[in-house]
Amino acid sequence: MVPDPSTDAPAEYPPELSRLPPGRHGLPRDFVIHNQRERLIAGLAESVAEKGYGATTIADITRHAAVSRRTFYEHFDGKDECFVAAFDAVTEQLRERIDGAYEAEDEWTVAVRAGIEAMLGFLASEPNLARLAMVEALVAGPVVVKRYDAAVETFLPYLRAGREGRPKAVLAHLSDSTEEALVGGMVSLVSRRIVAGQTDELEALLPDLVEFTLAPYVGSDEAARIARG
Amino acid sequence: MRPPPGRQRLSREFIARHQRARIIAALAEETMARGYRAVTVADIVRRAGIARNTFYDNFSSKEDCFLATQDHAVEEALKRIVEAATEVEGWDQRLAAGLGAFLKYVSEEPALARTCIVEALSAGDAAQERFEQSLQSFLPLLRLGRKDTPHGDELPDTLEEAIAGGIFWLVYQRIVLGEAEKVEELLPDLVDFALTPYIGAESAQRAVARL
Repeated sequence: MVPDPSTDAPAEYPPELSRLPPGRHGLPRDFVIHNQRERLIAGLAESVAEKGYGATTIADITRHAAVSRRTFYEHFDGKDECFVAAFDAVTEQLRERIDGAYEAEDEWTVAVRAGIEAMLGFLASEPNLARLAMVEALVAGPVVVKRYDAAVETFLPYLRAGREGRPKAVLAHLSDSTEEALVGGMVSLVSRRIVAGQTDELEALLPDLVEFTLAPYVGSDEAARIARG
Repeated sequence: MRPPPGRQRLSREFIARHQRARIIAALAEETMARGYRAVTVADIVRRAGIARNTFYDNFSSKEDCFLATQDHAVEEALKRIVEAATEVEGWDQRLAAGLGAFLKYVSEEPALARTCIVEALSAGDAAQERFEQSLQSFLPLLRLGRKDTPHGDELPDTLEEAIAGGIFWLVYQRIVLGEAEKVEELLPDLVDFALTPYIGAESAQRAVARL
């Protein structure tokens, strides 16, 4: 088997693996080469970027993934299940980036800033994945919508950690739904830009988002100071 | 449907508006029952108790009807918000009253709320855009708060958007959980959340206490 220099697939790989989908799916190349399931996910992401989830067919997915229809059905019952897998892959990547940035800081306020910055950076650099996770997800059926809601909820603990050690007066002012409202507001701002195709404006939201999310915990002056970083 | 004798003098406009309202209510109910994707015009006309022709006299398609439903809900919501807000003095009181009227409307019309706040997001590009626009229509009311604070122009540009987004997210969650009727319970927390960035925590607490 002659290696195809344009794809970097090693010589011992069967020919179909050398026909990789082009990199717009955003998943690391090794990841894709080694695993048919991941190739299908990448193929779905490609197709969704091209024509939206509604118009995407299994034929589209398998064509982009360069695998057979039979192989598709070995992994997924239908396109919805494949979408769920793609959605989970994207949110997992996003979560890793945010978590990595957040955990790298000692000070909670700075950690939140770092996490938000990482989130905006990821979404801005991967507009197709951003659209998949935050726009297309909403038309992909109730299972995905539930996943979406759950994914948003995973941000709550990062903010809730801000309650630790606060004076009583501050804590008394926070309610059970404070973190939900803050995350909801943040997601709303971000998703509106993505819907409008304005992913290049995402990173500019950083100061506003930092000030908005930190203010209930540290006051607006301190929040503004951290926001301007 | 023929009007009963003695009522033939109802204007066409009146009947038309009434029919339109019925169709909109029927779409909302069918959407809540089976999800927008599964709703057909047949479902709508059956629920509304009208002829198929009557549907098409009023709307060109299911989607057209959906967009009209969104417009109706936003118009009605804004009307109630403004009515409630103008009955009181002071921006903090107005905001509290307006928010209260909004939540009351949601709790009284769970099918409409579900249709416009949940289903709209997955009902196609036009519906999603309408949703965005409807969110935008609430922002000027919030923005008035900047006049009441010394640091009004230092507040983040996107503050109103974020506050509205937060309010919607909480309302959305309650609707998704089938708890639209309990949405008024959110009022104290939401008033606090909305007012604090403008007038500070203490003043916000005082406004909540006066609810």
